[in-house]
Amino acid sequence: SMQRSARWPGGASRSDNPTTSALPPRTEKMDVNQDWPSVYPVAAPFKPSAVPLPIRMGYPVKKGVPMGKEGNLELVKIPNFLHLTPVAIKRHCEALKDFCTEWPAALDTDEKCEKHFPVEVDTSDYVSSGPSNRNPKARVVTLRVKLSSLNLDDHAKKKLIKLVGERYCKATDVLTIKTDRCPLKRQNYDYAMYLLTVLYHESWKTEEWEKNKTDADMDEYVWENSTSQRNAVQTLLRMQAAGQGQGERGSAEELLRTREVEGYQACVVRLKNEGENEVSLSQYKESVKRLLHLT
Amino acid sequence: LDPGCSFHVSSQASQKNQVPVEHPRAISRTSESDPAKHGEQHEGQHYSIPLQDLKMVFPHGLPPRFVMQVKTFGEACLMIRKPALELLHYLKNTNFAHPAVRYLLYGEKGTGKTLTLCHAIHFCAKHDWMILHIPDAHLWVKNCQELLPSTYNKQRFDQPLEASTWLKNFRTTNERFLSKIKVQEKYVWNKRESTEKGSPLGEVIEQGITRVRNATDAVGIVLKELKRQSSMGMFHLLVAVDGVNALWGRTTLKREDKSLIAPEELALVHNLRKMVKNDWHGGAVVLTLSQTGSLFKPRTAYLPHELLGKEGFDDLDPFLPILISNYNPKEFESSFQYYLENSWLQHEKAPTEEGKKELLFLSNSNPGQLERLCACL
Repeated sequence: SMQRSARWPGGASRSDNPTTSALPPRTEKMDVNQDWPSVYPVAAPFKPSAVPLPIRMGYPVKKGVPMGKEGNLELVKIPNFLHLTPVAIKRHCEALKDFCTEWPAALDTDEKCEKHFPVEVDTSDYVSSGPSNRNPKARVVTLRVKLSSLNLDDHAKKKLIKLVGERYCKATDVLTIKTDRCPLKRQNYDYAMYLLTVLYHESWKTEEWEKNKTDADMDEYVWENSTSQRNAVQTLLRMQAAGQGQGERGSAEELLRTREVEGYQACVVRLKNEGENEVSLSQYKESVKRLLHLT
Repeated sequence: LDPGCSFHVSSQASQKNQVPVEHPRAISRTSESDPAKHGEQHEGQHYSIPLQDLKMVFPHGLPPRFVMQVKTFGEACLMIRKPALELLHYLKNTNFAHPAVRYLLYGEKGTGKTLTLCHAIHFCAKHDWMILHIPDAHLWVKNCQELLPSTYNKQRFDQPLEASTWLKNFRTTNERFLSKIKVQEKYVWNKRESTEKGSPLGEVIEQGITRVRNATDAVGIVLKELKRQSSMGMFHLLVAVDGVNALWGRTTLKREDKSLIAPEELALVHNLRKMVKNDWHGGAVVLTLSQTGSLFKPRTAYLPHELLGKEGFDDLDPFLPILISNYNPKEFESSFQYYLENSWLQHEKAPTEEGKKELLFLSNSNPGQLERLCACL
């Protein structure tokens, strides 16, 4: 059958003639300082003849090396980012600058940004060529706020953390609310703001049943009104009763304010909150020795 | 001897008053047999307890492996170690007018807590203190054959067998005090028998031993009377409990309807908990934690909070924790020499330097582990 080239009538191209040999690959003609974004301007599959890197990929046979790039299906299967080199991205940013407004000059540090704009909202838009421009992933809204920028007292902060549970990160003090239950992005944004408002107001309220909080619910050990305090005070009172007539007789409150008791209190709190280890146990031992006046 | 389990930590005492200049002897033994005179210069050395004393002071307190070792070697030797010296120092300087101070010995498995306790008990016995020694509190919360509802309080349970065994051993240790201490209340056992006010404590104990049903109540009475009278200054009381974490743990005992019993429902445990509180004076309380024999606790647990739990820690607070650790090089050397002298190590490579290094590495200076290893050599 006649193979006519599509480019001009009557003409023939190199590929029509079966006897022509293969041209050398394009990589041989590439200069080191060439413009790479023009080789890969868009996302394209891996072309071994256009990428001048001696890459090997694949599981080697015994006493062999991984397969080279020529005819390597593994390199074609994986996604590549050859179209997104730093140079290419710089050009994209330059092109996008025309569509952006200027960053406010007053907000030059992170602290200032946090102070004036404590709530950060993350949304994502998706563009693709297809029959419709809707994308269900675009409705997700993430709201991040630092609890230190909210006006919360001790009880309110603990209640808020208990209410949100997993959404609070203790290390960075950031509360993250991610909403996607509504179909539209603006609805999800409104819902996230509503959640934040409700959490704030609820955590300031104190319910009736919160008075029934037991020791087991406490987040950290509180020494006042604990068994440890009672034991220590009782022991000291008994010791005082034993040494009658010597020194002043102090009441329970005065005993609590002595240096030994305060040191003991600090050690017990540290032991219970931080857990036990050699250091905290030896400090506890020293404080008990001082408390009980042992040599 | 078969390689049984012995707690190695125990003592090595050499009471030979022969040539103290011999080098191995000088490292590992001392002839000072009165614990009151033990000081830092004796650290690492072994002192021996005369066997008659042993029978009287420790009818039930020594670890089983150590008892076997005593039988083999014909002598009971305890090593003098730093935590024991520290504890003895506190005991010597006890202020008997102040509430009883609680000392808690804790440490990893096999480091010598029980034998340090025995060292302290020997000291107190030699100084005429009254010894209230519970050898292993774990025995009271598991494997009980007979469990009766208590005659004194319907909600609690009695353990006649354990109570009567303990009373017998208590009588052996404190024979000389029993006629001197008088009970201060009348106790009615049943319609026909009662103990009058003013009769010696020995009668209560006899009643408990002969009438096994009342043994638990007898134990309760003994504890109450001792606590009251020690506060009056008639004698010094040492309360020594091994495995005190059993008092606040779980039990494996069940009622007839197969529901679990909590420790406070056992009368023995209830009374013992009252005993280790510091609302009395005139003595001291020395306790050890023990994971061996404890129920539902992992093998690696040894810290006070882990073994006692929150309730136990709060009950014992404030107490003085004393850490007992593995052997330091001097103690290891001493222990090794002791075994060599008693011809316990029969392997030909054992006395060499390499053999010693190998034992050091294999046992990681852990006294219990070292003892088990040497038993096989």
